[in-house]
Amino acid sequence: MNVYVRLTDEFNRGRVRALISSGQAVVLYQLAIMSKDGDWIVREDAEATGHILAVLASHGASYRFGAPLDERWLRGGWSSHLEYRDGPLRIRTDFVTRPPRLSAEALGAAWRDGERRSPPVVGLRELAEMKKTNREKDYAVIGELARHIPDVHGQLLLSRSARDLLALADAHPDEWGRACRDRPLLHRTTEGREALEAALDAERRQLMHANERRLQAYVDAARDWAAAWPEVARSTAGLTLPQAHARITERAERLLPFAVS
Amino acid sequence: MNPQAPTPVRDEFLSEEDLDLRNLTIEEVMAYWDLWFRQAQITNDADQWRYSHGVFEEVPDGART
Repeated sequence: MNVYVRLTDEFNRGRVRALISSGQAVVLYQLAIMSKDGDWIVREDAEATGHILAVLASHGASYRFGAPLDERWLRGGWSSHLEYRDGPLRIRTDFVTRPPRLSAEALGAAWRDGERRSPPVVGLRELAEMKKTNREKDYAVIGELARHIPDVHGQLLLSRSARDLLALADAHPDEWGRACRDRPLLHRTTEGREALEAALDAERRQLMHANERRLQAYVDAARDWAAAWPEVARSTAGLTLPQAHARITERAERLLPFAVS
Repeated sequence: MNPQAPTPVRDEFLSEEDLDLRNLTIEEVMAYWDLWFRQAQITNDADQWRYSHGVFEEVPDGART
């Protein structure tokens, strides 16, 4: 079994606490082979983070630079990163509770749908939203993901193919009209394929720049924490993960803001 | 002569290799990923400061230990 699926089973023993997302979700949907690292959306409560830390402790994991796995920071959109070795393999684990670009309503729906899947995995539509990063390759994944979204509205909102959008608009004019309100680019379908392709390119660039700005805000907010990290890492080397977590959390309370504006 | 309708052109996003994953069982996909993952360990040094997910793309210079 895939090491990250096995870890997901351990995280979710007794209760669904973590949904597989991003690269490993793309693998589970049989769309592409990608991502050496595991990424999860975690329940935003102390029991969930505590259980996941205990699982990682049992594997001898340690923190990478990032926020503590603590809901006070995760609520602010921060991500936590830990890793361990399993023989020749480097296992990296990344966690968020508030994935980017998902509203509270969409996140709630992701949990309701995701926890019914085995293994628990984020849905296609939410996955596509999360993939609106500043990396070109993620838009190729969105393009293919959109074709597998079961509802026409979702396809219209997320497709990256001008040909697909023109066909959808032609076959489902009512849905197209409703989707135009949420994705203004769809109005360009009336201007033909080339105009729509140009609009898709521009939309992709806007999304990439928006994500760059989002990430920069976190980098800026973490400046003091980054400066302190070498000393924090030295002082926690050799400690058990629970001990290291306690010390890292105590230091982060003074240096890493919970929220980023 | 066997007249056939031409295959409609479609926008392609992923490689044929990736698209073929849909024809495998999930167990076969997992086995394929596992093999790929083991081979990909060779890039661990190159991506030691990188993140695949979350709010950082790489460990800030000052935080590298």
